[in-house]
Amino acid sequence: MSGDGRCEGLLVVRCQLGERAAFQELVQIWHAPLWRYVRGMVGSPHLADDLAQDAWVAVVRGLTRLRQPERFAPWLFTIARRTVADHLRQAYQASVTSVQEADAVVDDPLSGVLTTMQVEAGLNGLPPLEREVLILFHLEDLSLATCAEVLGVPPGTVKSRLHRARHMLRSVLAERGYGHE
Amino acid sequence: MSEQNPAAHRDVPDELERALAAEVSLGARLRHVAVGLAGGCTAALIAVLWATEPHPLPTRTQAAFAGLIAIGLAWAAVAGWVLTRRRPLFARDRVLGARLALVAAVVTGVAGTALTAARASTAEALATALAGLTLVAAAGLLLVRANSRRRELLRLRDALRREAS
Repeated sequence: MSGDGRCEGLLVVRCQLGERAAFQELVQIWHAPLWRYVRGMVGSPHLADDLAQDAWVAVVRGLTRLRQPERFAPWLFTIARRTVADHLRQAYQASVTSVQEADAVVDDPLSGVLTTMQVEAGLNGLPPLEREVLILFHLEDLSLATCAEVLGVPPGTVKSRLHRARHMLRSVLAERGYGHE
Repeated sequence: MSEQNPAAHRDVPDELERALAAEVSLGARLRHVAVGLAGGCTAALIAVLWATEPHPLPTRTQAAFAGLIAIGLAWAAVAGWVLTRRRPLFARDRVLGARLALVAAVVTGVAGTALTAARASTAEALATALAGLTLVAAAGLLLVRANSRRRELLRLRDALRREAS
């Protein structure tokens, strides 16, 4: 287990034991990343506040069932993702589309050059699936394996989705005059 | 970076803190345990009272008893649903809840057996005692499992603390 995983695991175990102070600590640490993910997905800060709260309530209710405390981060984002998907389904009255993608590993020359600012600047011009993978990978710094776990797809699918998202982002940024070409 | 900084340093809103404090409150969870136990135990005692009546009860009394038993069981079912779906018990809560259940089972078993012994035959008293013992055994098993889970988590917590330091 990595150092981060150990600290994360320790906090989760303290919560599972019922130490109320540990819950506050857990929320202090993870609220900003969770909120940023949700905000990136829905666009509105106020809506992000509501959805983040819904996600936290679901986390508290499900925490006793988390058997691998060190896997808290992917579990948290999976819950946040479900909360956002439920909201989008209700808002647009359309189910989240499942896109069949090739599992091919794609070499992507853009992978190292996107800055946080560029990702955030172009996010709202992307469809939900591409937006989501960029947020998780670039803004939340989750590994490919963790992104795959959160998104419920193989790592190869995450790579191809990331590849497509970066190209779409580049087009969006170019249209907006960021000169990223 | 104008949009990133507010998100990165975003404090936990007061409203969220309040909502989560209510959500993890020990009192709220144990209240549901108490309500479920009260409903279930009351239903059991009324059932014993009804079953040991020496003479047939008037229809209205039977209806009243049946209604009270149904209400008690409904409260037990609601509490069970809340505790499994909406407010699951954390390890310490489970130990406290299981202790409460053991006390309630013992009281119900003893009261039911005493009631039957005073009003019905020995065979019926034995049957009630057996039912009481089953309840106590179930509550005891819950307590053993709750203690075991808590000890397991405590060991894990201590091991993670040692590794972290």
